Amino acid sequence: MVKIKKRKLSAAEIPTSSMADIAFLLLLFFLVATTIDVDTGIGLTLPEYVPPEQQTFAPISKDRMAALLINKNGDVLLNKKQIAIPQIKENLIARIKSKIDLPKNKKLIVSVKTDRETNYNLYIQALDQVKAAYFEVRKEYAESHFGKKVSDLTKEEMKELRDKIPIIISIAEPEVVKK
Amino acid sequence: MKFEKKRATTKQEIPTASMPDIVFMLLLFFMVSTTLREVDVMVQFKLPEAKAIEKIENKRLISYIWVGHDGRIQLNDNIVKVKDIKDIMYKKRVALPNVIVSLRIDKDSDMGIVTDIQQELRKADCRRINYSARLKE
Repeated sequence: MVKIKKRKLSAAEIPTSSMADIAFLLLLFFLVATTIDVDTGIGLTLPEYVPPEQQTFAPISKDRMAALLINKNGDVLLNKKQIAIPQIKENLIARIKSKIDLPKNKKLIVSVKTDRETNYNLYIQALDQVKAAYFEVRKEYAESHFGKKVSDLTKEEMKELRDKIPIIISIAEPEVVKK
Repeated sequence: MKFEKKRATTKQEIPTASMPDIVFMLLLFFMVSTTLREVDVMVQFKLPEAKAIEKIENKRLISYIWVGHDGRIQLNDNIVKVKDIKDIMYKKRVALPNVIVSLRIDKDSDMGIVTDIQQELRKADCRRINYSARLKE
């Protein structure tokens, strides 16, 4: 009798050599289609919109106010005195510091007002100076009172810091342009 | 007499079996750590530079408005007019109550257009804004 030879089974294999290529393709797709860059910038909270008819004039004492005016030629006025943009920081730091221990309704308000033709870059430079002044004062306060960097503060300490040195930047109401 | 070359009998291969796993791990890392680019930017702009800038931690809250050097405004995927901003942003604000509007404005723009956009945003009650800027060295 003829012996029926059993066919030897070869090991079943899925070809995996191209798997790496496929995965690399996927990886490339995601690399191209995604963004890694973090958005950085100067944060601000706009005031609530009030229709022009309902606007009321709230008197603010001169002492509280730091009015920053930038005209279309790039001249900057801080409290009616002409000033160069890099000097804004120094000027404001002293004023912010003098108001640390005052109650909440007596803190400094920085009001920024520009012409319609003012260059946007100038406005950002000025705003940057204002922010830098506040950050500097906050940093000093954090170091002298808590002995820490601002980024290492706990929530309660951060709240105290925010209460003591609130950043109040007011964007002046644009004047109605006559058409 | 036959000479046999002395040669190691082991296979000379780099094991590639784990390669897909490594790549998939890389892939997963990128998928988790990034967000998909949602829109094509159609306007050209150069951001201003500043020193006292902050990072926005939560990227999903951000909604962008671009203003190019030619004064065109882009919101989402479209070029829009100033007076359209209010309605679009109001809808966004309803869907996402604490939306942050990031203004990516060309540094040579005039303040007029910036003020107009801000007024529209105030009307739409989107009051948290961010002037996008790059870090000055």
